[in-house]
Amino acid sequence: MRSVAIVGAGQTRHARRRKDVTQVALAREAVTSALQDAGLTMDDIDSVVVCSGPVLFAAVNQPEKWLVDAIGARLKPVVRVTSGGGTGLAGALAAVNQIRGGFAERVLVVAYDKLSEGALQYSISTLYDPFWGREFAVGIMGFAAAYWRARMDSLGHTEEAAAMVSVKNHRNALLNPYAHVKKEVSVEDVMNSRPLCWPIKLLDVPPISDGACAVVLSSEDAAKASADPAWIRGIAYYSEAENAANRSMIQSEPLTIAAQRVYKQAGITNPRRQCDVVEVQEPYTCFELSYYEGLGLCPPGGAADLISSGATLIDGDIPVNPSGGCMGANPIGATALIRLAEVAQQVRGRAGNHQIPDARVGLMQAGGGWANLRGVAVVASTKG
Amino acid sequence: MAVSTLSRVAVVGSAQTMLRASWTELQHVDLIAAAVDAVLRGSGLDMKDVDVVIDCGSDVLDGRSISNCGFLGAMGAHHKEESRVEEDGLFGAVYGTTKIAGGSASVALIVAYSKPSESDVSAYYATLSDPFYQRALGLDHIGAAGLTANQYLTTTDADEEGLLRIAAESWRKVADNPSVDLDRVPSLADIQASPLVADPLRSLQIARPVDGAVAVLLASEQVARRVTDRPVWITGMGAAMDSHFLADRAPGELEACRAAANMAMKRAGITAVSSIGLAEVSGASAAGEAMVIEALGFAPRGHAVDAYSEGATVAINPSGGALPADPIMATGLVRLHEASSRLTGRLGGDVGSRAIVHGAGGLGMQNNCVFIVEV
Amino acid sequence: MTDGLLTGIDQPQVLETTLSLPYTLTTGRAAGTFLAELGNKRILGSRCDKCARVMTPPQDYCSRCGSASETFVHMPERGTVTAVTRTDRAILALVQLDGSDSGFLHRLAPDSHHAAVGARVRAVWADTPSQSMLDLDCFALDDTGGHAGSAIEVGEVAVVAELAYSLTLHYKHAYGPHYGRLFDELATHRRILGSLCPSCRNVLVPPREFCDACFVRTAQYVDVADTGILQAFSVIHMEFVGQTRKPPYVYAEIVLDGSATRLIHTIAGFDVTTAAERLQIGMPVRAVWKDRADCHGTLDDIDYFEIVTGSERGD
Ligand SMILES: [Zn+2]
Ligand SMILES: [Zn+2]
Repeated sequence: MRSVAIVGAGQTRHARRRKDVTQVALAREAVTSALQDAGLTMDDIDSVVVCSGPVLFAAVNQPEKWLVDAIGARLKPVVRVTSGGGTGLAGALAAVNQIRGGFAERVLVVAYDKLSEGALQYSISTLYDPFWGREFAVGIMGFAAAYWRARMDSLGHTEEAAAMVSVKNHRNALLNPYAHVKKEVSVEDVMNSRPLCWPIKLLDVPPISDGACAVVLSSEDAAKASADPAWIRGIAYYSEAENAANRSMIQSEPLTIAAQRVYKQAGITNPRRQCDVVEVQEPYTCFELSYYEGLGLCPPGGAADLISSGATLIDGDIPVNPSGGCMGANPIGATALIRLAEVAQQVRGRAGNHQIPDARVGLMQAGGGWANLRGVAVVASTKG
Repeated sequence: MAVSTLSRVAVVGSAQTMLRASWTELQHVDLIAAAVDAVLRGSGLDMKDVDVVIDCGSDVLDGRSISNCGFLGAMGAHHKEESRVEEDGLFGAVYGTTKIAGGSASVALIVAYSKPSESDVSAYYATLSDPFYQRALGLDHIGAAGLTANQYLTTTDADEEGLLRIAAESWRKVADNPSVDLDRVPSLADIQASPLVADPLRSLQIARPVDGAVAVLLASEQVARRVTDRPVWITGMGAAMDSHFLADRAPGELEACRAAANMAMKRAGITAVSSIGLAEVSGASAAGEAMVIEALGFAPRGHAVDAYSEGATVAINPSGGALPADPIMATGLVRLHEASSRLTGRLGGDVGSRAIVHGAGGLGMQNNCVFIVEV
Repeated sequence: MTDGLLTGIDQPQVLETTLSLPYTLTTGRAAGTFLAELGNKRILGSRCDKCARVMTPPQDYCSRCGSASETFVHMPERGTVTAVTRTDRAILALVQLDGSDSGFLHRLAPDSHHAAVGARVRAVWADTPSQSMLDLDCFALDDTGGHAGSAIEVGEVAVVAELAYSLTLHYKHAYGPHYGRLFDELATHRRILGSLCPSCRNVLVPPREFCDACFVRTAQYVDVADTGILQAFSVIHMEFVGQTRKPPYVYAEIVLDGSATRLIHTIAGFDVTTAAERLQIGMPVRAVWKDRADCHGTLDDIDYFEIVTGSERGD
């Protein structure tokens, strides 16, 4: 199989509302930054994959068709890959396949959302079947909270444990120049914050953001010009029918399948020991706890102990979300690609103030929908 | 490019539902599952063999965000790798092909569907526009088709009679296509008498939205050799997107389609289109189809109609093409289904051993995809 | 099975839904300035200094070379039609304004039926500006023989930075072979139907043609109970645009007895402010149906689910 590397990554300044740019200009900003990081121009790019959240977020259907001119991709292959919140990773996977399959040597993936444009919870609620349940939908927050409540009983994912995730990620975001929420919070602050969909409280929830991220993926040949490629050692994205019989909401099967597949590709048998840094997409704090278990960083039911132990702090033995994760900025359609870009920059030694010393292997997770679309990737500083 | 080291990829099965103006008695999931069930039946493969599902549909047409998320069971994607390419189904086939060619999968199921009867097709297209300049003017697919047709006639030697003839050919051929549901087949006179909806185009010269689903099974060479003695090899693929603003595009031609075709033919090692016996293309209108035929190289600019003459080397849209039946997100993948079925002789007739397949998306066919398939 | 028991509720052919979504769009520099200037009855273009190309309406980025367009210009109000089509909605045309290198998509006046490519046109302004492209009402045929003008460079001008926008989309969702039956039974007999998978033997609610996990056609309808267990719940305090009920209320995922799938509904009939403590995962619940007169064949025919208390269990 052909090797594929990330040779450039860039993000925009994220904000609750970017009043200075249109959707397409926002995406362009990330593209410019990624190309600069890679030392390339659009002339070097064979194909473009665009990712964004559901189109009802921002009133433009198939927005890649508006975006094409702003990113200078006219007359190149351009497609949009969508997969809810995990779309950025699904798009990166599409790009990896384009390179492995010989369709392109270098692919630009650009992922963005300008959530300030629309009514977020309303548009997310249209995920539900119009005949069956949509009238009860509370975006995806009601659903997420409901199964967190269930996991409290079966796995001990307490409100305090989730609050520790919020504290950690908020603190890490202080180090991240791209984060727009820069606020230290305590466990008490989180516990006392206003309930939105109990047990989810205000400080369990990331901000609503405008932002974009872009990544340049390259074949091995084309990566030779790059001084510090981050090699994709494994990548997968799995789905689960949302109302299949006996669907487990306690441990995510698609996450487990994706993680096992990626670990096999990457030769990882002990992720906690073999990975130096982890970035996960935590739309709510409770999900980060689930991912610890789904990714095998701890045994099932061990997440609360793992966060309490301090192991996932930025100076712990398995730092999770040193960037601050979604807590610093959450432009949904871009978030998954941001996680991938963050681990890539970590293993390239370009993560700035939140750099994990000597990070060589990075693990990331992302997903979307009803917690039924789940992806994982491992990147490393060597080809393996 | 190190394409020679990659696995060859073949179409090993394809199936579609009947294409109808309105499938009021079925839901999206029913159409999708029917196509998927049909493509597996007799293919020598079953759902367990499918490594990846790629689907093409539209949230705006479906009235549901991340609509694929609700249709995973119907697509057989449960606990499989799945992704939505929100574009014409032929772009989904690009994804599946690269996945197999690169060695990450052996079997890919590509599913594309639309049910425009549940939705407002004009709104679907209007929302494709930027919200500030084009959308406020009421631009939709009809207006875009009319403007591009006007440009085609103005900037070339083509005439309205030629566009009538191209439409008449489509409707004549679809009469023999059992998968398209029609009360009656309009004659040339009917086309001429149909309302002028966006001059120079009459309603029967603009692609008719229909409900339907299509499924295509792609496989690696190893699997293809095992399950069929009639694999249809994918030897070239190309895609290109044009500028967003209609006014920014070259008038009277489809540059993006030409770029996509050049890419596909180069990869297939084709230097002369005379070696291609069959073209299945997705024109948004009679003029759109003419511009595709020219962009693919079957006729000089403005002379597409000549490619439909007796004695032409290529059979264009023996299925009837997209004018009589345009299941919006599925149209290009239906063309791949038609072309591969004909190459294997399943539909009878001799169309040679090589076909070109075209799909498009967007207002005025902004995004284009081209496949070369061979037996 | 229940064939022949249907009592003639009018089976709706389709479920009509409307998505009506509010937006606040960011216009960016080019469109924002253009819309502001339209309100002043001036047409703005942009010039790519690299390509020496004038684009009308203005673009933030040159579609040819990709550079940011720095310079705005005021365009003459006259131009030439380069493409035209007449539709039910409008006469749409590409107008090349004098001094512009790009076409400008707009409308022609409703009386310009015979306008053809090459026709000279002039701008017609709307009476009351509304921060829209249609502040320039249309272009009308220009028989005054007005002189060709040229683009004049302008400095910074005011910007319309944000635009309120709304998108309304209408749908007619088909009931399909199973939902029609499901909702008929629900409204008529207070009976909840599932479908049985012949392979894994699970009962799937709502009923469906194929089992998601097995991809096998389901075999038959099966009645499931209107009682079940509370699989998961959340107490909703948040308010949001498009919400159908008033917080606080309970979002509940219930597994009905006899089924293996989740049903989304609400738990009520108790003091909701105590929900966090009162409700327990795995607790038995039971449907409370609306009066028959208020049942219309939707999930809302069940008013809510209530807690089945200990003493009632095993009734
Ligand atoms: Zn330029
Ligand atoms: Zn089953």
